[in-house]
Amino acid sequence: MTFENSTLGEILKSAFSAKVWGEMMIPALGATMYMLVMALIIMLIFGILLGDLLYMTDKNGLTPVPALNSVLSAIVNALRSLPSMIMIIITIPLGRMITGQGYGPNACIIALAISCIPMFARLVSNNLFEVSQGKIEAARAMGAGNFTILTKIVIPEALPALIRSFTVAVISVLSMTALAGAFGAGGIGHIAVQYGFNRFRYDILIATVLVLIIMAQLIQFLGDAAARLVLKKRHMM
Amino acid sequence: MSSPFIEIKNLYKSFKNSKGETIQVLEDVNLDIAKGEMFGIMGFSGAGKSTLVRCINRLEEPDTGDVIIDGMNITKLGTAELNKRREKIGMIFQTFNLFDSMTVFENIEFPLKATIKDKEKRKQRVLELADVVGLAEKVYDYPSQLSGGQKQRVGIARALANEPDVLLSDEATSALDPQTTLTVLDLLKKINREFGVTMILITHEIEVIKYACDKVAIIESGKIIEEGTTVEVLEAPKSKTAKIFTGVESSLAKAWEDKKGGAR
Ligand SMILES: Nc1ncnc2c1ncn2[C@@H]1O[C@H](COP(=O)(O)OP(=O)(O)O)[C@@H](O)[C@H]1O
Ligand SMILES: [Mg+2]
Repeated sequence: MTFENSTLGEILKSAFSAKVWGEMMIPALGATMYMLVMALIIMLIFGILLGDLLYMTDKNGLTPVPALNSVLSAIVNALRSLPSMIMIIITIPLGRMITGQGYGPNACIIALAISCIPMFARLVSNNLFEVSQGKIEAARAMGAGNFTILTKIVIPEALPALIRSFTVAVISVLSMTALAGAFGAGGIGHIAVQYGFNRFRYDILIATVLVLIIMAQLIQFLGDAAARLVLKKRHMM
Repeated sequence: MSSPFIEIKNLYKSFKNSKGETIQVLEDVNLDIAKGEMFGIMGFSGAGKSTLVRCINRLEEPDTGDVIIDGMNITKLGTAELNKRREKIGMIFQTFNLFDSMTVFENIEFPLKATIKDKEKRKQRVLELADVVGLAEKVYDYPSQLSGGQKQRVGIARALANEPDVLLSDEATSALDPQTTLTVLDLLKKINREFGVTMILITHEIEVIKYACDKVAIIESGKIIEEGTTVEVLEAPKSKTAKIFTGVESSLAKAWEDKKGGAR
């Protein structure tokens, strides 16, 4: 199904055919979803931990440790400046160390999660800094300790912003899973490279682009809805 | 005479500005405040009022000096002891600082979580406090649904949760209109009367001093320059600052006289 042997109409028809979707897209979508969800769980745990740490140790944070903060900040910034492709290549050996394999979905999950943690951690710490100093001081004046202030005040107050950041992160992990497909991870990206790029199967290329766009839209919609729900509950919009 | 309930002795506080220069914000502040008193501290913007009141519960660490409340030297407390003592030092703010993620109920409940473990008892206490500040009907609303005066009432209920013996107020009425200011001051006076809470009210509004304070200290550039009963200070102001506040030496009053003269 290249433009040499088929018309645009035939390509489009095939792009929406049961054969393409049933045999390739749906299974690939399953693999992509698996990688996405697993990578997000890891990113969520470590990203929030690292983001909290960046926030807590900042000179304007709850428990300033400027030396540690500078080191963490420098590492996060350095990692964030690398293009995702480079990050995936760099982190694949780490995936191998953890899963015993340098290829396949599980190694890629590790690579994806590690690639996204610095970005998500920075978003989290920025969101936490948005919580007004006044609220923190009010809690402090009541005798609340730093851990209580972080978990009971700062994080809940920042929740709508945190949901928005997570939405951004989900979409970038999604685009990275597609990229990781090119490195043997399977899923939508693999299909796109294997058929679309190597064999000029434009029908499949169109189908993969469609899937990615729909997924990104859906994620954005759900993220916005969740953030709005929280704000509505608090009568803040 | 017995020793005062709150004693501030030789308090100094400085900050480093962005250029790294030291600016002295509080200089040798000494104050004695009796139990159950409504004590006003008045001064212009930047005089060091907030810094002074924040040194009392150590939101700001004094450089040197002592803050002694009911015989306990606050400046000498470790973190855990300080947090324990803070439970009984209420504080209210100009910007209210309510938690938007929580209902009125949850805002008032927050300081009680550390002190009343039984959920039912805690609920009773929250409802009692909401009643004291006249917000029984609003307990399940969120702060964003309240007016400024109502928000400050929640702030007051929250500050009173653990039956404090001291209440610190940093410009608590400065964001409110004159009418609401009076109703909030009425509430503070009622609380002072009924629960015997000693209050330190920071303000740049002379009405607050006139309406609610037994005593007043005038602060200028980090120094207490005048002090006495409200009537003493306001009837016979000595310092220039006090004279400006009372209108004896007010450029506003002078301008107004000039304007009236010009119209004639
Ligand atoms: N954290 C801080 N760092 C540097 N300077 C400060 C800080 N807090 C207050 N100041 C300075 O101390 C002075 C007194 O401030 P403040 O106590 O807030 O005055 P007031 O409440 O009377 O308006 C001001 O000049 C202010 O700029
Ligand atoms: Mg102030």
